[in-house]
Parts: sequence; C-alpha cells; structure tokens
Amino acid sequence: MGYGHWDDTAYRAAKTFRASRGVDDFGYTAEMQGQPYASWQAHPALEPLGVAVRECRDSDEHGNSLPIAVLFDVTGSMGRVPRIMQDKLGKLHGLLQRKGYAEDPQIMFGAIGDADTDRVPLQVGQFESDNRMDEQLRNILLEGGGGGQKSESYELAAYFMASHVSTDAWDKRGKRGYLFIIGDELNKAKLAGRHIRGVIGDHVRTDIEVASIYRELAERWHVYYILPNQSSYFGDPEIAEHWGALLGQHFMKLDDPAAVCELIALTIGLEEDRVDMHTGLADLRDVGSAAEAASVGKALGVKAGPSIRALSRGRG
Amino acid sequence: MIRSNIIVLDLGFGDAGKGATVDWLCSSEAGLDVSAVVRFNGGAQAAHNVIADGRHHTFAQFGSGTFSGVPTLLSRHMLVEPIALASESLRLTTLGVPDPLSLLRIDGRALLTTPIHIAANRAREDARGSARHGSCGRGIGETARYALDHDAPKVSDCLHPNVLHAKLQAMAAHYGPLIAPSRHRYEPIRDLVDMYREFATAVRIVDGDELARFAHRGRLIFEGAQGVLLDEWRGFHPHTTWSTVEPHNARALLAEIDAPAYTLGVTRTYMTRHGAGPFPTEDRALTFPEPHNTTGPYQGPFRSGHLDPILLRYAIDVSGGIDGLALTHLDHPGTDYAATGYTTPTGIIDRLDPGPWQDLDHQQRLTDLLATASPILTALPTDPTSWLEQQLGTPVVLTANGPDRRDRTPAKRVAAVA
Repeated sequence: MGYGHWDDTAYRAAKTFRASRGVDDFGYTAEMQGQPYASWQAHPALEPLGVAVRECRDSDEHGNSLPIAVLFDVTGSMGRVPRIMQDKLGKLHGLLQRKGYAEDPQIMFGAIGDADTDRVPLQVGQFESDNRMDEQLRNILLEGGGGGQKSESYELAAYFMASHVSTDAWDKRGKRGYLFIIGDELNKAKLAGRHIRGVIGDHVRTDIEVASIYRELAERWHVYYILPNQSSYFGDPEIAEHWGALLGQHFMKLDDPAAVCELIALTIGLEEDRVDMHTGLADLRDVGSAAEAASVGKALGVKAGPSIRALSRGRG
Repeated sequence: MIRSNIIVLDLGFGDAGKGATVDWLCSSEAGLDVSAVVRFNGGAQAAHNVIADGRHHTFAQFGSGTFSGVPTLLSRHMLVEPIALASESLRLTTLGVPDPLSLLRIDGRALLTTPIHIAANRAREDARGSARHGSCGRGIGETARYALDHDAPKVSDCLHPNVLHAKLQAMAAHYGPLIAPSRHRYEPIRDLVDMYREFATAVRIVDGDELARFAHRGRLIFEGAQGVLLDEWRGFHPHTTWSTVEPHNARALLAEIDAPAYTLGVTRTYMTRHGAGPFPTEDRALTFPEPHNTTGPYQGPFRSGHLDPILLRYAIDVSGGIDGLALTHLDHPGTDYAATGYTTPTGIIDRLDPGPWQDLDHQQRLTDLLATASPILTALPTDPTSWLEQQLGTPVVLTANGPDRRDRTPAKRVAAVA
C-alpha cells in the first residue's frame, strides 16, 4: 500500500538531504553541548513553563484528529535509547497513515527527566501532522543526567498531560487519545507541588498521590509504558511491578528499542480495531521490519502456538 | 586520437548491460578521461547493475560511473525523483562512495516525479487488471503524461516552495478522482514541499550551460536508460515507456554544444524482456539465473529468449545507426540459437520496417505482426561475435564474459572508440 517501502518516505529523504550538508539530526543537543551546563534550557517550542494548553484540533483536511503523545525518558540510565528514539520516531506518523491504523493522527513528542536534579526535567512539543514533528524531535534536548535513585519525573509529565492538553477527540467525540511513556525507572514517590510550580508554573501547594494522577489521566488517555532494552533497568522486576500496578497490561517490555515505532503503531491499530495481531505482525514483516515484528510481537505478548490473543482492550 | 563522446544505448528491451558498460568506460582501466555521465532519458525506474572492486550497486538515477567518482548530470530530459535519489545516495554511502550527492548536477528544467504521480501510476495500473502495460509503478509515465497539458512541477520549483506547493495542489486535485478510490496514498503536500526544499539545498541545480562546461573538461558518456525497443514512438505500442529511449535527445544535446558523438549499442548474446509485450523469440523453457532481475509486483516476470538480429536491426535503424557494439553475457551458456526470420500469416519476413516517426498506428501494426510471428531459428557458432557483426553490419568493440568490471575486454577495434 502507499509508497512502497516504509523507508522510502519524504521524512527519510529530507533527513538524508539534511545530513549531506552536515546538519545534525540531534541539532539542539549538539548546540547546547557547546554551552555551559548552567545555561541549558528546553528549546522554546518544547518549554512547558507557563503553557496554558497544548491542543490537538480537527482541521478541514483532517476532521477526525486522533491525539498521540510520545514522551521518552532522556536521562543517563536510558543509555543510547533516547538517540534511537529521536532517530526512529519521526516515521511514526507515516507508518500509522500508510497502514491505515489511524485516520488523522496528530502526534506530539516530549521528553522526561528528573525534576530533582536536571536542568530540563520536562519538554513537551505540539501536536503536529506534518514534517514539523521531525523538527520537534530534533529540538529535544538529550540532557542525560538523572538522579541515580531509580526514579524520574514521569508523574510530572502525567500531570501536564492530564491538566494542560485539550483535544477535539475528547471534547467533540468523547474519544480518548494515546499516551506512550518510554522509560526505565519508577515514578517519584509523590507528585511534588514544588515541581509543578517550578517546571510548569501552576500554583499547586500540596503534593499529589502518583496513582491518583494516573487515574485522572486514564479518563481521557490510553496510557502505555514501554520499557526498552539497552536501558539500565530492563531486567529489574521492581519496575515491572510498579508500572503493572499503575497500568495493568499497558506496561510493555521491548527487546529492540529500534522497533518502538512499530510497537506504537500496532498498539494503536489494535486498540482502534483497524487490524488484528496476525495481520499487523504480517504488515510489519511485509515492509521489511521482520526483526522489529518479532520484538513487537513479544512486547505485545504473542506466544508461539495457535491461540494468538490481541492486546487487552483496557478498562472501558 | 578522436576525442569523441559516447552514447551508450541498449538495443533490446533493457537489461543488456548498459550500466556495466558505462562503469567500464568511466574506469581508470579504460583510460578514457571521462568528465561526466549524462542521463538523457527515463528516471528512477532505471536499474543498471554494476559490479566492480567487490561492490555491487543497482544504479537508478546516479550515473553508472559513480564508483569511479565521475559526476552525473541529469539533463532536462530526465524525470527526477528526489525521494528515491536520497535512498540511492544512502546505499552508495554504505558502499563507500563519499558524499554521493556532491557528484550530482541536475538541470532545473527536468520534470519532477512525485509521490502523487506514483500513487496515480499504481492506481491506473491496478485498474487495468490483466491488461496492464508492464509499468514499473514508479510514476514515470504519469510524470510525462501530466506534463503534456499541465504546468507540471520541475526541479527548479524546489527552489521556490510557494510555486511548488501550488503546482502540487493542482496535481492533487487533478488526480483526486483516480487516487481516492484506490489503495494508494501519498504524504501531506506540506511534508513533500519541506523535503523538496532540503533536496534543493543538498544538490546542485544547474542551467543548460553545464553540459558545455563538462564537455570542456573531458569526454561525456551518455547513459541511456531502458532499451530502444521500449521507445515511446518506436517501441511496440502500447507496451512502451513514456520516454525517448533512442538517441535523438542525446544527439540533440551534443549538437547544442557542437560536439561529436559515437553511438555504442549494447546487447546480450540472447534477448530478455521485463514486463508485458511482444517477444517473438521468447522461450519459456529458458531459465537463466538472473540475480538482479526479479519478478516485480507491477512489471511481472523477467522473460528470456533467443538472440534476435531482426529486432536488433530494427533498433539500430530507428536509432539512426550505431558506430559499434558491446556484446555482453559471452560467459553465459546462452541459447545457442538466433532468429534469422519470422514465419507470419502473410509469409516469411526477416526485417521490420520503421514507419514515420510518432505514427502509433504503424507501431500497433508491428505489435500485431510480432504477436503472430514465430521465429525461424539457426544454430550459432561457439563465438557469436563475428556472426553478429555480419548480421548487424557493426563492429563489436567491447565484449563482456561476466558481470564484473574486470570481465570487460575491448576488442581490437576499440581504437575506433578512442
């Protein structure tokens, strides 16, 4: 279907042309690395402080917008994974559209750090449906950092998504969007009021229970947590228990971080009832993502044998 | 020593070995001091296999002299497809070609093949069902067709995003009724325009004077795409390509800069055809190994047949004659047979008459004739070289007994090329 191979896309071509004149795909990070650490800050397009609302709206061309947010952990424990994410995620939109897994996807990218120790603990872009997504990815600062206490500020990102995002999908159609958090550690013990004040700018005086913010978030979002291999805590059972308790089967482990796009696309395709597991995995193999298909199949809990079960439909 | 430019022309239906021939002509082994490879027809659908120094690449838009660092000029007669060009440059990089895009010069007047053309091409070919024309599904025909009566996007438009955006939108509207009900889609126009802007900054877009500049610095090799028997006006209608494959345009380009041309025809020791259309000497029992030509979803299977001097002579006639022949696949067991005539319902014939240029009724009659022709085969001598020279009235100046660059040998008459 569509344009032959998934790799033969305008996105990839633009990237190739850019690279040929020496423009780094991790441009903003490279720029910041040339400056003193104390002056590091989020790219203005991704700065959450003082943002009233990020919007995902229908347009004349795309009347059925489906909000998809992908926020990935950029701390040091993630190893090379953030670079892989920054490199791979740009093709998510094309992949969803070409396979018909989502009608009018609008995608927002962002990054998560540690509000106790990092200069830039949260970055959130805009919902886009064109090449500006690619620009967002290039503008994400891969700070590294993190606190070494096996927790990052995922709950702060969850708070932003629950209280500073407005979508036509929900407002007009009562339809939930998709939020994928890609990381390898635990939430902070509490959602700290001072973090909300300092990073987002809301005047919240008290701390909030982590579980309650995810409950609130789940009302308007299908929330998934992806733990990719090559990060520090891939094999740690505590991570699985923690996220399993919060999200149930929406906690997924991914063998090959390079397959993240395929996993997200297929997860959405399944939830939207646009594809079944068999066809979806065949789709992936079909376009040359055989290795990715295997990882995705495993992440989605496909076992060898005749009874292949699709993802749980979640709670309501 | 005659300092001549060389036009490399496939006398069959394609796949005869133009790429490997051009690679050899550009190599230091040949010592021909080539300044540029000029593409004068076709587009991203070309597939010229070159094997040299342990590397293999199927050249599509880059000229087949790239392994030797020879620049490529895509002339105004080319159909340029930047997305495929980017992929090809990546593949060349992995083969150790440093910065392949820097070797490209592209005439701003060349037409742009876009994902909209490609979606339209595939939608149309799908709709033909079993009556398909043998298209590669790369949007080549649509690019040529649309440009006939529309203000089609050109390479130079990539420097002017607003102009390009408007042209793409007009095209999208034009093709809407064809594409919307099909299973084919393309990316949002804004994404495409952004990408074309990057393309325009990454390659050198040039004017018509570039050819003269290259000619001043050395010899030009004109690399034809596809085969003369697929020519839009001289091929067997409707199984043709929307491209002038015979050397008319190449010679016109050389005439503009007042430079001489030597035309080198290329053929295998047997015939092949990839796609639908007449093929009198086809023998379905022949199954030669074809590592680089496989069944394509739009082209259909790769076909093989016996050597056919009748078709080759026709190709030479409609090309206005050639100066020499490159004979490839001599290492191949071959079929050991060649056609000396055809039995047809109206008697035995041993030649095909070219009609007036652009007379598609004549071409259709040739197609009908070939559909009913069965070949009269004769056994070939062990080395078919001199037999073929006699049949075609042309000296064999280069032979190849393998796919690799080092398998190419200039015949004693190669002095005529130099």
